[in-house]
Amino acid sequence: MTEQNPLAEGAESDRRAPPCVLVVFGASGDLTTRKLMPALAELADGRRLPAAFCVVGVARTEMADEDFQARMLADMDKPSAAWESLVSGFRYVAGDYSHPDTFAALKRVLAEVHAARGTGGNVVYYLATPPQVFGEVAAALAAEGMSKPEDDGSFVRIVIEKPYGRDLGSARELDAQMHASFDESQIYRIDHYLGKETVQNVLALRFANAIFEPIWNRRYVDHVQITVAESLGVGHRGSFYEGAGALRDIVQNHVLQVLALTLMEPPATIDAQGIRDEKVKALRAVDILSVDEVGNEVVRGQYDRGWVEGGEVPAYREEEGVAADSRTETYMAMRMQVDNWRWAGVPFYVRTGKRLPKRYTEVAMEFHDVPHLPFGRKDTRGLGPNALVLRIQPDEGITLRFGAKVPGQAFRVRSTSMDFSYGAAFMEETPEAYERLLLDAMVGDPTLFIRTDEVEQAWRIVDPILEAFADPSFPVAHYQAGTWGPREADRLLDRDGRRWRSP
Amino acid sequence: MAEPVTELGSWRGEQVKVGQVLDALADLRRRSPMGATRTSVVNLVVVARTGDAADRAAAAIAGLGGRHPGRTLMLVPAGSGSGSNGDSGDKVDASVSLLGSEVEGHDVWSEQVTLSVGRAMAHHTDSLIEPFTLPDLPVVVWFVSDLPLADDPVLRSADVVLVDSKVLGDVGAFPRIAELSRRHIVVDLSWGRLRPWRELAAGLFDGRAFAPFVTRVRHVDVTGKEGPRHLLAGWLASRLELPRSAFSLSPARHVSLALAAEGASFEVAREDGKRSVRASASVDGGPSHTDVLTLPDASLPWSLADALTRLERDRVWEQALRGALVFAPAGGP
Repeated sequence: MTEQNPLAEGAESDRRAPPCVLVVFGASGDLTTRKLMPALAELADGRRLPAAFCVVGVARTEMADEDFQARMLADMDKPSAAWESLVSGFRYVAGDYSHPDTFAALKRVLAEVHAARGTGGNVVYYLATPPQVFGEVAAALAAEGMSKPEDDGSFVRIVIEKPYGRDLGSARELDAQMHASFDESQIYRIDHYLGKETVQNVLALRFANAIFEPIWNRRYVDHVQITVAESLGVGHRGSFYEGAGALRDIVQNHVLQVLALTLMEPPATIDAQGIRDEKVKALRAVDILSVDEVGNEVVRGQYDRGWVEGGEVPAYREEEGVAADSRTETYMAMRMQVDNWRWAGVPFYVRTGKRLPKRYTEVAMEFHDVPHLPFGRKDTRGLGPNALVLRIQPDEGITLRFGAKVPGQAFRVRSTSMDFSYGAAFMEETPEAYERLLLDAMVGDPTLFIRTDEVEQAWRIVDPILEAFADPSFPVAHYQAGTWGPREADRLLDRDGRRWRSP
Repeated sequence: MAEPVTELGSWRGEQVKVGQVLDALADLRRRSPMGATRTSVVNLVVVARTGDAADRAAAAIAGLGGRHPGRTLMLVPAGSGSGSNGDSGDKVDASVSLLGSEVEGHDVWSEQVTLSVGRAMAHHTDSLIEPFTLPDLPVVVWFVSDLPLADDPVLRSADVVLVDSKVLGDVGAFPRIAELSRRHIVVDLSWGRLRPWRELAAGLFDGRAFAPFVTRVRHVDVTGKEGPRHLLAGWLASRLELPRSAFSLSPARHVSLALAAEGASFEVAREDGKRSVRASASVDGGPSHTDVLTLPDASLPWSLADALTRLERDRVWEQALRGALVFAPAGGP
């Protein structure tokens, strides 16, 4: 593509974006301020951005370049010199996404930037906008001839945020709109969960260690629990959340992505195709419930008033933008089965919810008991099953629970935990999820982005549950905010002789 | 970067045997808080041949916080600190500290052992090191203020050797560092501190508008202190395959680079009065760009922590070091 740079050899910043322009649609919005710009600032400070780089913001709000620059600076606590320098080159295009003039103006600005900065015609579009305009923006870019690279030496990519549709049908419709303007290889569907170090560490743990993979199957694993807990409520997103619920907001994407990484077979190579092929295969093995089965395998819950982290919080139905008789689920628990040789018969219990006691995400694998315990019953009262827990947030690490002798004359055995903490073992800064994924999009590495067939398979799993939830007679179990969910969720495990873990 | 470190326990002994020191260490660990996480990643052996070097090294290690949990063994010459000055065969003056810090909510501990080594042991220091090394972890030997002789027994225990070519004071030491790097993996703290300049210089040639000029550089000006400026010149000479005659080196407080190519110019220099470096590229009649990088912490703890994350052979540094030899006083300014 370009001549080899001998000065780059041996550079520690081995992952560095090539010269390019990042065009952010929704540049005046919350996602841009809260996530994208801080991630870019970290990339700038970490020498991951090229000198030939520019951000072009696009939004409806009327602003000059200088206003946009001032805003991006003001939103950052203690901006670094690198960030100040970068922001001083930002450009801005104001306009409505439905108006062709907006895209003509953007085209002019991009041409100016490419000529002045040497960004080589490379563009990454980031749609930090409501999903309703994804198709419209994609079509407008294509109409202006901006959806394809200028030549073989340059690239054009587009990053879109979830949700990818509201069900299988609308996801396919969105894909058709996107594919009318962009090839699949140009589309980067972001799920920020995949940008988390510990989610990626699931792959390292499984496929770089000889000791875990042999026990990662039905012969040794009794069951798996996946918990994605949030202590926050819906905040100002009440009206959005009313149309989404935990199933669409968390389960269809984050939970199923984590599940796929847990279930998948070893890929031949850790590259985009290898990993994504195996993830799709894993999701295809997940038993899809019939609508009639949903009532038995899924618990739908909604929080009432309660206390979280020392503060009293309102019920979901009292939140801003939420209907007083809302049936939207803020909690979901379900039992899943996987139909393949590795996992047949191993239940996967999944729960996610808002206003739970703390923010916490983990994948916990509990193992079968030993065939025979040669100790007295009273000596093993404190002994639980072996467990391997992958802590995804906030305290990222791995815990292995096993039995050990309690020091003393008696032969008492008690569970103890061996704890690995990411922060304590590595000096390297852990990149934020958006930081990692933004860089991946610029570098052109789609490994941690969702492919269209993954999206479709995830919706196939979720669609029957959506259909069941649409029935007004499907129960909504209420739980007090600040607890671990409704009693019905406990019963889901009780009947199998198991209990939810206490994270 | 550094987290506050607290001493969880300590022990001191004069004219004691190594076994007593190990027992004291084990005893301290037994009595330490149960919640402490023992995640060790490195054995660090510090060779400080003067009291001043020992003080600087101790401060640097304390500044690491919990980021490199492991065991540090500091070897200082007998008489450089408190305790006896004698040379009593197989006995040493020793102090042991168990240090705790909190990293992202986790209690992390590290261990620091200081041994005063008498003349009688000077030729067998490897036998002092071995009992203290944690198994399966690399042994990194840091020579704080000088270079080891070729037959220094400490080198027998070393997986990686840390040096600081800037602290050594002059480029006359470069041939000895180069010789050392032929037999050991050597990590140079000075090379790590120059990374911002190197990365910015490399980044100037990213992209097809600027990449062609990397092979068209005709003259290079390098300023800086003795050592760093030679290392950077050696790096550019080796990477760009430029002759000695293409370089002008001159002393200055801060490092700077100016590369003149046919049809374009490139500069990397520290910004006046700021802890940041500015890099700029300009193609005659064409595009231009500027890049600014905030310099990382200049402290010794930062350099040490950074070096401990890069414990592998660095061929580019080795070539830069050899390239720098032609800029040594005998070969030019």
